[in-house]
Amino acid sequence: MNVESANRSPAPALRIIGLTKSFADNVVLDGVSLTVKKGKTVCILGPSGSGKSTLLRCVNWLEQPDQGAIFLGATRVGFRNNGSAITMSARELARVRARIGMVFQHFNLWPHLTVLENLMEAPVHVLRKPPMEALKLAEQLLDRVGLIEKRDAFPGRLSGGQKQRVGIARALAMEPEVLLFDEPTSALDPETVGEVIAVMKDLSAEGRTMLVVTHEMQFARETADEIVFLDRGRVVETASPQSFFTEPRTERARQFLQRYSVR
Amino acid sequence: MIREFSIVFQNADRLLAGLANTVLLAAFGLLLSLVLGGLLSVLLMSESKSAAFPARALVDAMRCIPFLLLAYLVYYALPSIGLNFDNWTSGLLAIVIYNAGYMAEILRGVWMQLPRETIDAATAFGFHGRKLFMRIILPQVVLTAIPMIGNQAIQVIKDTAFLMIIAVPELTHAASSIQSKYYVPFAAFICAVALYWAMCGVIEFAVHRVEKIADARR
Amino acid sequence: MTAADLLSLLQGTVVTVALSISGIAIGVPAGLALALLLWRRMPLLRHVIPLYVSVIRATPLVTLGLLIYFALPAMGLQIGPVTAAVVTLAINTTAFNCEIWRAGLIDFPRDQLESAQAFGMSWPHIVWRIMLPQVVRTCLPALVNEMTLLLKGSPAIAVIGIVDVTRAAVRIGANTYEPLPPFLVATAIYAGIVFVFVRMQRWLEAFSLRDEVGT
Repeated sequence: MNVESANRSPAPALRIIGLTKSFADNVVLDGVSLTVKKGKTVCILGPSGSGKSTLLRCVNWLEQPDQGAIFLGATRVGFRNNGSAITMSARELARVRARIGMVFQHFNLWPHLTVLENLMEAPVHVLRKPPMEALKLAEQLLDRVGLIEKRDAFPGRLSGGQKQRVGIARALAMEPEVLLFDEPTSALDPETVGEVIAVMKDLSAEGRTMLVVTHEMQFARETADEIVFLDRGRVVETASPQSFFTEPRTERARQFLQRYSVR
Repeated sequence: MIREFSIVFQNADRLLAGLANTVLLAAFGLLLSLVLGGLLSVLLMSESKSAAFPARALVDAMRCIPFLLLAYLVYYALPSIGLNFDNWTSGLLAIVIYNAGYMAEILRGVWMQLPRETIDAATAFGFHGRKLFMRIILPQVVLTAIPMIGNQAIQVIKDTAFLMIIAVPELTHAASSIQSKYYVPFAAFICAVALYWAMCGVIEFAVHRVEKIADARR
Repeated sequence: MTAADLLSLLQGTVVTVALSISGIAIGVPAGLALALLLWRRMPLLRHVIPLYVSVIRATPLVTLGLLIYFALPAMGLQIGPVTAAVVTLAINTTAFNCEIWRAGLIDFPRDQLESAQAFGMSWPHIVWRIMLPQVVRTCLPALVNEMTLLLKGSPAIAVIGIVDVTRAAVRIGANTYEPLPPFLVATAIYAGIVFVFVRMQRWLEAFSLRDEVGT
């Protein structure tokens, strides 16, 4: 290995370039670009309707963008051979998705499986992990989010905060390269928001690569490495949390912060 | 009255043989119609018109036509195009075709009501195609559909009685032959009714148990 | 298929329709009556009626028809095939209709009843003017569905010797050795009657809604 390649920084974990998406006549994303480096936490902030959720859903191709490119490491998401015009087959797409972990606003746990089975299902059947291995990791993760005693419970019996912690553990069980969080606390009671935020802070401190769409300003200010401010489908400002929250450069960002003043 | 019932009990073996036939026809019919109905429901939900149309035609046809007429069609009319089945097989075939339509509608209805989120999550985790269907969609569909399938099962059992008209030796046929031989109509048919009632009771109990399992997982 | 064959199919259709409608005409009000009795929790009946419903819902029409046609005369009650057929269909559909009405009555909001009582209305008045018009509208789809199910079960009466449209079709097929044409015609006839039932349901729904808009 020569000195140059050793010094060259590795490809960012996630790169989004010029993403454009419309629903009917409505332009939801208009040339959005952002980069998430390995081990960093990027928070996407913005008023409702700014396209934040759509952006996240495009990353793992739950929505198909009209234009633009998404790179997971060196892999182009959605198209074969890193950029040909041929779209990926379902199997190739599934393989890419398995490298991305997603935590949903409404948890989206599988109701017919126990908590433990929820954590093991994808690793065993998508990654083809040996069940014993998947079980061990699942138990570790459950212990880590503080829910090991709920391992045999069904999701229907859990509180919102508990469900979301299971959702996070489920995403971690895939050992993903990137973690996507789609407004993970928006559907929770104020009391349970804290327990989920605590887990997310922990993960960030541990060096996970995270892309988080959230309204939790405190969390963004304290935990993010970079803030991306989205408004009406465009990236209006990209900054470090310190400069974004104390000295926003754009008028839109200023207005936004006034409405959501940090407690 | 007592005399009548004692005669029927003496011929219990005949009655029970009829019962066995009823159960066999119903069980196989139900199972096969569930499988066929599953296939039909996939076709119904497909985007291709050429796949969905024949499935839709079959389902709608089965809702218009009386079961007995279908049984007659299979038994009497099919031979004219070369397909000869004995009465037992004709009966089974009629049950399967008739109920496949109802099963397809049940499964399709439940499938459409499945919350989007649970499928979204599975897709996001890399599930697709057959695995997505077998591990995520199907278990949830089955758990929700069991009460409706249970109702359909009761319908199947009652439909088997029609087959006595084409001389299939099921329960009503057995009761009828005991009746005509010994002139014990009341006892013979009351016993048959009691056995039908018992069969339904078993199905309702089974559905109740499954509903409890499904409730825990709601 | 000759004109005479078509005529016998037509006669069979008349028999099917007449007997089915007779069964429905008895079964719908009778089911309502039983459901109301259950709803009012009448002492002995609240146990007897569910038993009746449970047994009849489990019994095939063929078996019930044979029971009525053969057992009643043996107990002294002389009964002809037509009467037996109507009685069979009526007993069967009453049980199913009772369940349908019962579900509709249970779903009816208690507060409407309480407010009517607070205005001093008598029970017959409340049931007839307040509850039933709304319950009928809720139950209509299920009631019509049961009507089509009764129609599709009506060929059972062939076992007690009545020539309905199904039996007529079988006869023609047996005589001409060409079973397919009469069967297909019979299928079309049943489909036609079901279609009429469904149309009638839509019309009834629109009619009753018009009442509401008027006020």
